[in-house]
Amino acid sequence: MLKSYMTNFREFFTRKRVRLILLSLALLLSGFALYLDITVRMHFEGKRWAMPARVYARPLELYAGMKLRPEQLVLELSMLDYRVAADPREPGSYRRQGDDFTIVTRPFTFWDEAQPSLALQADFDGMHLGGLTNRDTGAGVTLARLDPVLIGGIYPAHNEDRVLVRFDEIPPHLVKGLIAIEDRQFYSHHGFSVRGTARALVTTVRGGGIQGGSTLTQQLVKNFFLTPERTLRRKFTELLMAMLLELHYSKDEILEAYANEIYLGQDGNRAIHGFGLASHFYFDRPLSRLDLPQAALLVGLVKGPSSYDPRRQPARALARRNLVLQEMRKLDFITQAQYVAARAAPLGVVEKAPEGTSRYPAFVELVHRQLRRDYREDDLRSEGLQIFTTLDPLAQTSAERALTGRLTQLEKDRRLPPKVLEGAIVISNSQNGEVQALVGGRNTRFEGFNRALDAARPIGSLIKPVVFLAALERPDSYTLATLLDDSPLVWKSRGTDDWKPENYDKEFHGQVPLQVALANSYNVSTARLGLALGVRHVVDKAHDLGVERDMRTFASTLLGADSLSPLEVTQMYQSIASGGFRVPLRAIREVMMADGQPLQRYPLSVEQVIEPGPAYLVTHALQTVVREGTADALKYYLSPDLQIAGKTGTTNDLRDSWFAGYTGDRLAVVWIGRDDNQPIQMTGAGGAMTVWGEMMARLDPDPLVPPVPENIESVWIDPATGLRTDAACAGALELPFIRGSAPVETAPCGAGSPVRSIKSWLERLFE
Amino acid sequence: MRKPYRIVLFFMSASLLAGCAGMLPSAPEERPVSDNSAVVALMDNARNDVAGGKPDSAVASLERALRIEPRNPRLWQELARLRLQQGQYQQAEGLATRSNSWAGEDKVLRAENWRLIGEARLRRGDHQGAQAAFDKAATLAN
Repeated sequence: MLKSYMTNFREFFTRKRVRLILLSLALLLSGFALYLDITVRMHFEGKRWAMPARVYARPLELYAGMKLRPEQLVLELSMLDYRVAADPREPGSYRRQGDDFTIVTRPFTFWDEAQPSLALQADFDGMHLGGLTNRDTGAGVTLARLDPVLIGGIYPAHNEDRVLVRFDEIPPHLVKGLIAIEDRQFYSHHGFSVRGTARALVTTVRGGGIQGGSTLTQQLVKNFFLTPERTLRRKFTELLMAMLLELHYSKDEILEAYANEIYLGQDGNRAIHGFGLASHFYFDRPLSRLDLPQAALLVGLVKGPSSYDPRRQPARALARRNLVLQEMRKLDFITQAQYVAARAAPLGVVEKAPEGTSRYPAFVELVHRQLRRDYREDDLRSEGLQIFTTLDPLAQTSAERALTGRLTQLEKDRRLPPKVLEGAIVISNSQNGEVQALVGGRNTRFEGFNRALDAARPIGSLIKPVVFLAALERPDSYTLATLLDDSPLVWKSRGTDDWKPENYDKEFHGQVPLQVALANSYNVSTARLGLALGVRHVVDKAHDLGVERDMRTFASTLLGADSLSPLEVTQMYQSIASGGFRVPLRAIREVMMADGQPLQRYPLSVEQVIEPGPAYLVTHALQTVVREGTADALKYYLSPDLQIAGKTGTTNDLRDSWFAGYTGDRLAVVWIGRDDNQPIQMTGAGGAMTVWGEMMARLDPDPLVPPVPENIESVWIDPATGLRTDAACAGALELPFIRGSAPVETAPCGAGSPVRSIKSWLERLFE
Repeated sequence: MRKPYRIVLFFMSASLLAGCAGMLPSAPEERPVSDNSAVVALMDNARNDVAGGKPDSAVASLERALRIEPRNPRLWQELARLRLQQGQYQQAEGLATRSNSWAGEDKVLRAENWRLIGEARLRRGDHQGAQAAFDKAATLAN
């Protein structure tokens, strides 16, 4: 038996066979190594190449004489996380003494040029920047840009919740801290530390369990596995993978992946991975803007995010942070002075973790949608594009504060339950169509329902300027002085009930000049005018002005029964505000590739869609709305000298409150309503206009002085008869007309005696 | 009266269609574009960029200048001229028209805008529209 067995054994292990077995073993081993190699590279590449697009606000341009208040400059600098310093030398620091500023800017590569760090000396002259000089040379500086505020990113779909950072965005202090406390040999080892591994092995053999001794590379590899497992086999695999990683990638690349992967905290059931997200979660600012003590705190968290949670365990977190600082000091990574100052600093953690990572999620959403027209979603989320947008953080801040503040006040005033009112705001540059601010709701950090883009609501009287524009384009039939019929109207249409529009005051006003009908937002005369022009024609006009959504051609469309979003309303008014030129609203200026190469511009474009004459007349009428019409209470917020043009909008049963208006430099649309579409008991003037006024008052608007087209002449009119009259006559009114359209007939002074009643209220209106 | 003008027009269009950029009307005025030195600097940047074959950068500079002085008709005109050179005729016409809306009593500037509009229409093949624009330019120049 045994003999035969041995024979079999010997027969089995012939030389040939042994060689074969050894070969198979070697193959198996190299196969395993190859498998590990592929796995580790796949994991790594997956993280490494997914670089989100970064979205920036507009850079603040500084030049002598510009309109800017010192507080606005301070706000901009604080949003950029510039530090106050007694003697600013470091880029990103400044000093203010009264109205004198010294600012050391950060270097920044803009789309068109790279601007090095500049030491600027700026002083103010009231509401204007007085002088701008270079601190070091004393020479005047013609024009300089601050770096733009980073307002968000477009993140990979599978890592939606991660704020991926590139190596150059990681503050050097954080890298040094990590090396000091986690892995001193990082830049010299090959993925593992002999001493660390030996120590771990000894502990294991002594029965102390598998533990510690991991390099940063090993810690990173550990994260590639879905489950934590503490076996020798896993340890060995990790070690092999760490070595393979070191073969393929540079130290900086490994550190970058580590920085984006490491677990740093818990927010309910949401895990906080990566320093980028952690920086927002704990400090509400981008990682690149962390100072030394903040960076040290994050480094300290690596060891145990829950044991050192700065919100729940502030004392332990502080001790841990200071330990990191101490280790950094020992290695001379920081000076004694830096160490002392950082130790003395408070934790600096924001009390409540901010919702989302963008300060302006509603605006970033608009940017994302505009980008999606030109870029593949995958590229946006992974190519590291830099997106330069039109957001003006100063305008945005004013809009947010005005909306949240006024909504709370309006709820109190109207005895509405708290938090039922919602709102949305769009602000654009009235000349070039750049969207400067966008608020999607009163919770401005909420990344959900964006009312500015997606809440289409009946626009009410905001449609009226379109009706009047369509009329004023026919100067032989309609002028601002044309008397319109505001007596009861019954509109019969086959298949539907009779339509009997009413005025807001439930009265009818007889014969009223066209401009007065718009100023007082009379429904009946507007409806009659629109029906005479044709609803189709009015709707076409709205499309000419830039409304893309289909609108119905019912009679009620003339009074704003159709729904538009605040952004669509803004586009419509943009064409009127810019004198008849359609200027597409833009949220993006430029797109740059990750390496700083310019990729694409979104240029300013203009197209004349309305003759300058009628556009001018509509603006004149809209200025009357504010001066003496439904929006006259705007004077409690803004000086009448600003000649603002605007229109209130109120819908049936007071469900929506709208205001659209423009100054010399900005156009803004405000909507207030409820998400459940219940009545809110306020008109456009009572609600949205107050938000508009408060917001604009903070932005020091330019007066509205539209250019007078060459075919416009000014004529004195007797408002009662609509006839030409003498400037000296009592009650005479000066109105612009398209040349040749003004009445020829002249009324003598006081000719309007039979219609004195109309005249008296007209006088009241035009006083 | 009309005929010699048409011949001139024909030769002009022929040479323009040949793509001779040197024939483009250039800024006739040499007074500073603005009393704001930042705007002047940006205009200089734009001209240098055009000379250096970087039209996109030139557009960016002009848009920056327009953000500072949106009512400056010469900036709008410069942008129109640039768009014409780039072959964006519709934009050129829109921008020159916008320049006209801010031009006020400046007849020289308006005449130049109408010439730009005429060129833009000509190159789009709108000969009638081009002639109307050139006529307006001529009226203003007289």
